[in-house]
Parts: sequence; C-alpha cells; structure tokens
Amino acid sequence: MKRAVAVVGVGQTHHSSRRADKSMAGLVREATERALQDAGLGYEDIDAVVLGKAPDQLEGVMQPEQFLVGAVGAHMKPMIRVHTAGSVGASTAITGVTLVKSGQFRRVLAIAWEKQSEGNAMWALSPNMPFIAPLVAGAGGYFTPYIRAYIKRTGAPGHIGPMIAANARDNAGRNEYAHLREPMSVEDVTNSPMLWDPIRYLETCPSSDGAIALVLADEELAKKGPRRPAWVRSGATYVEPMWVPGRDQVDPAAGRRCAKTVYEAAGITDPWNQVDTVEMYVPFSWFEAMWLENLGFCEIGEGWKIVERGEQKFGAHLPVNPSGGVLCTNPIGASGMLRLGEAALQVMGRAGEHQVEGAKLAVGHAYGGGAQYFSMWVVSSEPR
Amino acid sequence: MRNVAIVAYAQAPFVAVDEHHTSTEILYPQIRRALADCGVEREAIDYQVGGSADYVDGRVFGFVAAVDVMGSWPPKQDLHLEMDAAFAAHYAWIRMQAGDCDTAMIVGYGKPGEGELNRILNLQLDPYYQGAVGLDLASTSALQASAYMARTGAGDADLAEVAARNRAAGARNPDAWLKQPATAAELQKTPWAVEPLRQGYVAPSCESAVCLILAAEGKAEKMSKTPVWIHGVDQRAELQSLGSRDLSKSASAGMAACKAFEMAGVKTANDVDLVELSALTAAEEMILREAVGLPARGDGGPAINPSGGPLAGSAAMSTGLVRLGEVYRQLSGKAANPVKNARRAIAHAAQGHALQHNLVWVLGNERRWS
Amino acid sequence: MSAPPTEPVRYIDSNVYLPYDYVAGDLKALYLRALKDRRILGSKCSKTGKVFVPPLPNSPESFAPCNELVEVSDQGTMTTFCIVNIPVIGRNLELPYVAASVALDGADISIFALILGIKPEDARMGMRVRAVWKPDGERTGSHDDIAHFEPSGEPDAPLESILHRL
Repeated sequence: MKRAVAVVGVGQTHHSSRRADKSMAGLVREATERALQDAGLGYEDIDAVVLGKAPDQLEGVMQPEQFLVGAVGAHMKPMIRVHTAGSVGASTAITGVTLVKSGQFRRVLAIAWEKQSEGNAMWALSPNMPFIAPLVAGAGGYFTPYIRAYIKRTGAPGHIGPMIAANARDNAGRNEYAHLREPMSVEDVTNSPMLWDPIRYLETCPSSDGAIALVLADEELAKKGPRRPAWVRSGATYVEPMWVPGRDQVDPAAGRRCAKTVYEAAGITDPWNQVDTVEMYVPFSWFEAMWLENLGFCEIGEGWKIVERGEQKFGAHLPVNPSGGVLCTNPIGASGMLRLGEAALQVMGRAGEHQVEGAKLAVGHAYGGGAQYFSMWVVSSEPR
Repeated sequence: MRNVAIVAYAQAPFVAVDEHHTSTEILYPQIRRALADCGVEREAIDYQVGGSADYVDGRVFGFVAAVDVMGSWPPKQDLHLEMDAAFAAHYAWIRMQAGDCDTAMIVGYGKPGEGELNRILNLQLDPYYQGAVGLDLASTSALQASAYMARTGAGDADLAEVAARNRAAGARNPDAWLKQPATAAELQKTPWAVEPLRQGYVAPSCESAVCLILAAEGKAEKMSKTPVWIHGVDQRAELQSLGSRDLSKSASAGMAACKAFEMAGVKTANDVDLVELSALTAAEEMILREAVGLPARGDGGPAINPSGGPLAGSAAMSTGLVRLGEVYRQLSGKAANPVKNARRAIAHAAQGHALQHNLVWVLGNERRWS
Repeated sequence: MSAPPTEPVRYIDSNVYLPYDYVAGDLKALYLRALKDRRILGSKCSKTGKVFVPPLPNSPESFAPCNELVEVSDQGTMTTFCIVNIPVIGRNLELPYVAASVALDGADISIFALILGIKPEDARMGMRVRAVWKPDGERTGSHDDIAHFEPSGEPDAPLESILHRL
C-alpha cells in the first residue's frame, strides 16, 4: 500500500550572513515555530523529528540536535539526524517523507539548518588533511574545471553564467527570506573579480545562517487543512562513488538516475512541459545550465540555450529557482531543504511575491559531495 | 506491518588502534563477508545506509569515503546518519515498512583511536552551560552513576559485580575485545576514571567496522536459513540538560522499551531470553535494566550482555549495531557462547550523554506478523 | 572581580582544540614512500584491470578488490582546469595559477594538481604535462615530493579523448 504524504506547513528564517540575534536553538526554533503555525499545529502534534545539517565542524559543535531536543519539541520522541553533505537538507525532507509513508508516524517535523557564521566555514570546507594531496583550490575551485568542460563541450558563450547569476538576484528580490537580494546586472557580474576562472565573485553562493522546517503529514491529516497541502508524489536520494573511472561530473549519473526515478514515480514523461517550476541546487552560476540537462529538461548541450532565450526566468516557460536559489542564500545544511520547501510552497500557492502563477507540479533538487549525492522530490497540488 | 529480518552480520575484530588500515579499508572486507554470508551479490541489495560521525573521523564529510567501498556503482539509493549505526538500521527498517526497499545494507565504522574520544564528546554538550565547564563523557557518566547510587543505595561493590560479569562473558566471546576475565575484586582496585566510576567499570574504546543486512519477508528466507525477525522497535530522545531530568533513570530508554514491547506483543522483558544493552558503564547497565523492566542486579531472568557488552570493548558509532549483531548471532545459532534455547531477545543502542537517546529492538526466531 | 559588562553579552569565544593521530594505512604509506623514489603507484582492479591513483583497496566501479600495485607514468594530460585567483588557506602560491585535473598515463582516474611554468592564459584542455619532482635529498615520501606539474612540450591530446574522461 503506497501511503500518500504531504507537506502541510513550511517555515523558514530570514537568512543572512550572520544571525547574531539568535543562538542556534533560537534560529532553528524560528523556523519550526513558523512551520507549525503555517500548519495550524503545535509541537505536541508531532510524532517524530528529523534533522539535517552539514559537517558539525562548521559550528564547532557535535551532533547539536542533541542539545536542541528541547528547542525542536523532540523530547520523548523519535529523532533522526541526517548528514549527506550539501544535499542534506533535501535528503532530510525525504527521510521525513519515508517516516510518514511507513505508517509508523502520522506527522513528522523535518528541520535543516546551518549557523556557519559561528565557525570558520572556509577552513571547515577545505581543511588540509594529512596523507591527502594538499588542496590546490578551494571548494569553488574544485567544481570550476567541470564548468570549463561543460563550456568546451557545448560551445556556450561566456555570458551565460553571468546571465544566470543576475537572474537569480532578480528572483531573490521577490523572496523576503533570501540572503542576497540587491539586484545586479549581467555587467555587474562580468565586472566582478574572477575567483576561479571561469567563475567570478558574483557567480558564487554566499555563506549564510538560516533554517527551514517542514511539517509532513499523512493523507487523512493533510486533508484536514487549514492549508492546501503540497503532495509529495515521489522522492529519492542517490549517491555515486568519487573514483569511478570516467565519472562524468558535468552530467552526473546519480543525478540523472535520481531524476529518472522521481519522474517515473510521479508520472512525468516530459519534464519540460509537465513541470511548472523547479528549484535546483545551483551554487555556482553555470550549474543551472548543466542541471537543466542533467535533470532531463532538455537534451545534452541545450541547457545554456534555455538560459540565453530567458526561458528559465520568472514568468517564462519554466521558472528555475524563483526563490533566488543557492546563489542568493546558502546556509549549507538548509539549502537542500530550502529547494524542496520552496517547490512545496509553489504548489501550495504560498510563495508570495515569487509565486509562479498556477503552479501545480514542481520539482525540488539538491546535490552534494564531489557531485555525488543527489536528492529530489516531485510535489503536486494533487495527491495522485 | 512487514516482517523484516537480520540475515547477515559481519564485524571486524576489535583492536585498540588499527595502524595499518583506514576506517573504510577496515569496512570493505566486512561488507564482502556479510554479502557472502547471505549468498547474494551487491546488486541484490536495494538500499544502503551508514552511521558515523565527522568528529570521530577527525574530518569533514568523513562518510563520503565509505561510498567508494560500499559498491555504490551504478548509483545507489543511499543515506547517511550522523548517529550510531543502530539508528541507521532503524531507518532501514522504517523504509521497509514504507515499501521502499526489500533489502538493506547498514554499515558502521570509525577510528576513535585516532582522537581523544572522551574529549571529542564534550562537543555534544550545549556550548553555553555544559560544554563550557569542560564536562566530558567520563564526567557525565559519573554524574549519572552518582545519581543512581544515591537513589538506590548501590555501591562500589555492586558496580564491580556488574562489570565482572560482563568481563566474564566477554572472555567466553571470541568476538569481544577484552578476552581476559576480571574479578570484581580486581576491578575494585582499578583507579578512578571519574569517581564514582572506576576505569574497570567503564567501556574501553576500540576500533571496528560492521555490516548488517536486513531483508523483508519473501527475501529473508532465501538469504538466511535462520533469519532473526524484528518484532518491535522504537527510539526516543530526551532533553540533554543534565539538570532537567532524573539522571538516576533513563526515561527515554523506558519509553522506547515500552513501545517496542507493545509492537512486539511482549509483556515484560522476562519474556525474552537475552538482552544486549549498549551500556558504556556498569551504572548504565543497572539503569537500563530497570528501564526495560528487569531487576537492576542479580541473576535469574534473561541473560544480560552474553557478548560481554561494551564493557568488553566498545567501537564508537558501531556499538549499538554490534549489540544487534550479537543478538543475531545468538538467535541464529552462530554464537560461540550460546545462551541456551534463545528464541527471543532485546537489543539496545544509545547515544548522547547520560543515556539521553535510546533505541530498543525486540527480535525473535519466529515471524511477528502473519 | 571585574565590573559587569556595559553592553549585553552577545558572543562567547569557544575555541576547539582536538588532537588527532591519523593513520595513513599501509596502502597509502606504500604510495607515499614510492614518491620518494620518484615512482607513482596505483592499485589495479582484480576484475577490470583499471588502475586507481592514489591506490584504493577496491574498485569503486566493479566492487572487486584491488590486489596489485602498478607503476604509472609521471606524465599525463591536463583534462580540464581552472585559473585560481584567490588564495587557498595554508598555501602560499603566487596568483593567478592553474589548478588542473591530470590524467596520468596508465591511470584510469585523475588527480588534482598545481600547474606551473605556464602563463594561465596559455593553459589548454588536452595539454600534456609532466611532474616536476623535488630534487634528490629533498623528497621525504609525502605528496609534495611532486612539487607541481609543468607542460611537457608534447603535442596536445585530442580534445575528444579527454572531453568525457575528465
């Protein structure tokens, strides 16, 4: 028996470079309070709590969910802590879905966060480890060579990345929770300093503090309201090894496989035309073009053309990252759940100023590691 | 409810520090062994999930290295929890109930010998009040032992007795780490770890890697002649703050046991033949015995920690899964030190300070649901 | 006792000091020691014969164990690269410089390497490079026994050969 699961509440914090006004507990609770309020529920209505965040070294604490039990209302409840690198927020949401789908828990609170201002994120992401070859480039420098390969394979013109970045900011201008919201032009981007050629400063994600929480419920409870829920039609988390010979980090197999699995389960055969909007994990501009291909929205080599034609802008054929995405907001542990949560908000009709009109079917996506971890879900305004 | 069984379990021999292998190099052969034991190739496993911790690994994203030894190609459905691997097994079981997989591989690994585990675990405590005063696992365990002893009147000799019994059992278990028994008198002479806990009453840290395979009814019978069925399972977390709870008890262990028993159709812990507790100190064992409804001391009733328990060797991030594995050995007739007529068992896992977060399984040789 | 703070306390500094004694493992140790002898070792999959550098205990692709160590060339092809303009923590390299994915001849996966002896604007995908070793007596059996890579002067590898084998 396949039980239906829905998102009945979404709550997130106002993301910023440093949430000096709240402790980690306060930050997380800001999101959980909003999510529960959105769902018209109290902590006592939750049967289990699933939490996810990225490496604990980012904040200099270990398994902080243990001291957050009180803040998240998990006292005397089952609790699970997920950690799957950059995709963690998304795999946490999917873990929560599985809990409800199992029939063992009727309402689950899924939370993802990062308060990385409390540590040294740059160090935490790229420490020099013994017996491992010394780093030659920072985190962004790891991915940039594959962006170069994408450009070489496709012959895409250099302005595509800056177009993506400028458009992301335009989107964030319509999202009150986003971290970076000031508009910028393509020229602003191309004039910004080159970090790892071909990626410039204004084409990279920020470092943010933030949290998001989702309330997931079974069909009977979801139908009780008060909001129109977002039905989770499918979800999956995949991984591939780092050192497979010939592994393609431009068009990763695990990403393609994940998309195939969730599309099939949701009855999507023509993503470009069936999906109304997609929130995909784009930490550096060019990944938007690459992921449009990897997620099957177009043929190989065509992703950048969608950008050039502006077909992924707000109001166009397939709005990508109407929230502004990771390029505008990146609390590492939360980013994956922000993608999935924003997709849910769209089909719930609750995305406010960045609502894609009439959105009924949305995709949320996140990735992590050396392009290894991929987590996605498909949400709909209809249960089946 | 789907009947789900353990069909294979492999554990690397415990060592203090393996100076020749990284954690994933220790793990790889255990995965191969577990698969061989249940007679399947990697492709037969639908889902993989691991439990480990970055701080134990002494690196960020430490678990990513495990992906390459787990047979994750072509891409596999996967998850990783920053928890003892027993909790990963619990999630795999939940996934089976959701119908999302029929077989699952659970791995646990870590090399606590590379760091100072006791000191590392200070970071689990809230950084403002408890972590800041320098409490570590040794001291929070001692606070709990002290509270327990104050409430019950248990004394040093009682702790020694519990520890000695575990050491004697460990000596009979070829898979334990400490293979020499120790008498209560000898243990009472060991120096204080943190008073009132002597070093002899505290689990010694060692290294291992484990792989456990779960399969749902329909597949389990093909993978093992003696599948060990899960009858009930539950886990609960409590507030961490040491001052906010009665440290002389573990309310979350009690509740997890209660719920697991309910699911299993078990009235009391006396209905099972053996109990494997993830007790990291002799005091924890007594507290946990009470929590599952057994007398804190004395014989009679089910065998407690016939494996020797963590007091005979505890591998960080795997200890909980090792308890499950030891139950599997006992109930499937593979144990070198068998508990007579063992047909049902309880296995327990914990994490956090002072038994903050507990997981209880009930298992048996028969299927629970028809 | 000092006077109470005049402003509300907003932060506490809590530095984390944790000592770790990392184990390289015998396999990695063999690799590192061989670097002292200007040799680059890889492990070979017992099933497919593919070679992994640095050595792995098993093939992540086939799942079979690797049970043989083989030597690979210290020359290879720069499959793709980026030009680094901001410093990496803990390294003192002159900016800008080329960081590249290098497919050593004989290896089936690539390593990440520093490329010097080239103007960044002259870097090309497919460029042939060779290791520049530290002089005899200065090599210690560690990763920086290979100081960096530099162009070897050979004709570039054809783009088709590396575009999908990064």
